[in-house]
Amino acid sequence: MHKIERIAIAGVPNSGKTTLFNNLTGARQKVGNWPGVTVEKIEGSFPLQDITVELVDLPGTYNLSPDTEDQKVAERVISGGEYDLIINVIDATNLSRNLFLTMDLKERTHQIIVLLNMTDVAEKEGIKIDIERLSTDLDLPVIPIVAVDKTSVKKAVEQIEHAIEHLPPYDSPVSNREVMDTAGKYSHIDEIYSRVAQEIKDRSTNFTNKVDNIVMNRFAAIPIFLVSMFITFWFAIGLGSVFIDFFDIIGGLIFVDIPEALLEAVSSPEWLTVMIAGGIGVGCQTVATFVPVVFFMFLALGILEDLGYMARVGVVADRFMRKIGLPGSAFIPMIVGFGCTVPAVMAARTLTTKRDRFMTIFMAPFMSCGARLPVYALFCAALFGAYSGLAVFLIYLVGLFMAILTGYCLKNTLFKGTSSNFVMDLPLYHTPRIGAVFKSAWLRLRSFIKRAGVIVVAAVFVLSVLNSIGYKNGEYSFGNENSKSSILAYVGKAIGPVFKPMGISKENWPASVALFTGLFAKEAIVGTVNALYATNDISENQEVAVEKEAGGLEIGGAITEAFTTVGEGLVGVFSSFDLLGLGLISEDQATVSDEIGADTSVYQHIAANFTVFSAFAYLLFVLMYFPCLAVVGAARQEMGGYYAGVMVVYSTLLAWSVATFFYQVAEGHNLFYIMLSLVMFTGIYGWLHLLGKQEKSKVTLVAPPPVIKSCM
Amino acid sequence: MNKNITLANIKNGRSYEVEGFNPGNSAYAEKLSKMGFVKGTPVELAQVKITDPIVVQIRGSRIALRKNEAKGILVKEL
Repeated sequence: MHKIERIAIAGVPNSGKTTLFNNLTGARQKVGNWPGVTVEKIEGSFPLQDITVELVDLPGTYNLSPDTEDQKVAERVISGGEYDLIINVIDATNLSRNLFLTMDLKERTHQIIVLLNMTDVAEKEGIKIDIERLSTDLDLPVIPIVAVDKTSVKKAVEQIEHAIEHLPPYDSPVSNREVMDTAGKYSHIDEIYSRVAQEIKDRSTNFTNKVDNIVMNRFAAIPIFLVSMFITFWFAIGLGSVFIDFFDIIGGLIFVDIPEALLEAVSSPEWLTVMIAGGIGVGCQTVATFVPVVFFMFLALGILEDLGYMARVGVVADRFMRKIGLPGSAFIPMIVGFGCTVPAVMAARTLTTKRDRFMTIFMAPFMSCGARLPVYALFCAALFGAYSGLAVFLIYLVGLFMAILTGYCLKNTLFKGTSSNFVMDLPLYHTPRIGAVFKSAWLRLRSFIKRAGVIVVAAVFVLSVLNSIGYKNGEYSFGNENSKSSILAYVGKAIGPVFKPMGISKENWPASVALFTGLFAKEAIVGTVNALYATNDISENQEVAVEKEAGGLEIGGAITEAFTTVGEGLVGVFSSFDLLGLGLISEDQATVSDEIGADTSVYQHIAANFTVFSAFAYLLFVLMYFPCLAVVGAARQEMGGYYAGVMVVYSTLLAWSVATFFYQVAEGHNLFYIMLSLVMFTGIYGWLHLLGKQEKSKVTLVAPPPVIKSCM
Repeated sequence: MNKNITLANIKNGRSYEVEGFNPGNSAYAEKLSKMGFVKGTPVELAQVKITDPIVVQIRGSRIALRKNEAKGILVKEL
């Protein structure tokens, strides 16, 4: 007998296959990607027949035709024969549509065991299924199971072990039975269904339908939708943000301060300290600050999904989302984007097609995130006075407009020819299983830390080191962060002329240098601008060393402070509805600078270096340019390096063009630059168009996946 | 006398049966048929007051789809 070592679980979405997978594998899981594609791959192992077998959770699919990336992956895996056994989980409450996948599977392999899931719910819904008959008709072993119930899973494992003994020989050819077309399969299914299933209750008045009648009612739908979206945002961003400072402080302590102190204690050379504590350490700290929002976002998504409301969100939001070329389900990533782009990019994975996922990720960074707000606040307080609120509102609006424009543009270039559609199964409502939701959020967080984290740490490392190394009077030195002698400042100065068309003069180089530190996180612009204007003030000879943080390691103090921020944050999140933090925008300069940690003198510098128009152009640029490194890391994880690169170049070019166009039309009145920005717009469009064409020819060049012939 | 209409035009409270693809609008019909919209399958509008996407009851489950996609499927009233 062929030894079973590798098993794949196949099933339609919401069939409960992931629940089964969780209960089988327990803690032994890892999340990754299928080779060559950006489809999530969840692997684990469990004991079967005295050995540990590998288990993989295939993407949920309704059939195996290569229409979507998920289906292609499932097809390839099953036809490839890598797995010794396919466990096909089917939902007893939705038998006929679940059996279609079973038919598709049967065309490709004999090694199938069917697990009939949710037999308890089916009973409640009044569906009686003759399991033995189903097994005979399908010519496959069928084992009833309630995947949420551990005892039931345990029993099923014993039955699986038994059923394996009776599977046809592993190397027997797939039957000579002709491959049926869709209608043929369904008429076969209908025959089977009429023999094995009995509906003894009218299901039109079941719980799910009653809830749907309210949730998707013409009047109640929108209010319920808005409230649930507010709660989601509050949960993912509001509650998640409470812990950001905590992770920032603790991360700083563990990855930066302690290594630094240790290295200094063994009197390591300064360059080593800079590399390890200032480079890698700061990189790890950056990743750590995103841990809470990413975790809470996956938690929120998991709860909505498990509850069954996620599908309804898609239905209600589809009406307006389709106008920008996306399905309704893309609404959540977009809304989360107003809090933080990183979880927004990751939330895009809930969409079914590659096109929708990628378009959402391209658009998400234009939703102005919370980290950009302190920058707006600083400049508004310095220049806009009573018009601050209006200015910020306009920036958010421009972001929204740019997202829509991006959608429109991508639809006609990079993703040309693939239309958006929206067909969605509405699963039964049920109580979320908190344990499972927590676990899946934890797994996804871990995979973010591992896979996006690496690139973030690497990029932060390079930037930090460049920010620290300084060159003055023929000597290199370290510790020049946010000073005018760091390499980064030289680069910023050198590249300065690029920003001239948007109204940043050569003398205003701190503004262009800050754009580089903004890559760590956009709010870092505030700190850099603040520090650089201040040092710029002091004449060359009496330049003071950049203020170093008070020496000595204070572990106890840092930990206390970290916990204090959580307490304060919790009070804030439960007492205020200002989740975006828009309260920051005010005319009172002292309040703003206190909140964002800038000196009040910075306002005079900003006022001296910027006009109202060039400041607005600068803010437009900050809104749109190169998303922060953590977003790039997340985008690379979700789309691969190529598309993440395209996104970065696209957004930066667009930012330059928009900022330049605005500044020149409003104040600069330089016809050449106006023309140049217009040419840039066309150029960006043409470039994407070209990439789209290339992409298409690439697709046809790839050999089709091997298909096992059904007729031998 | 039962003139075929598309799935996009079905009315609340009546019963229909899938007839086939709409030749004029079949881009998405192939995929829908794999989801269970094949000839002879009973289908009706779910008692949900959202008009686009529509929600239909088919094969014991509820599927939401845009009117545009629903146009790809022809049905007849029973």
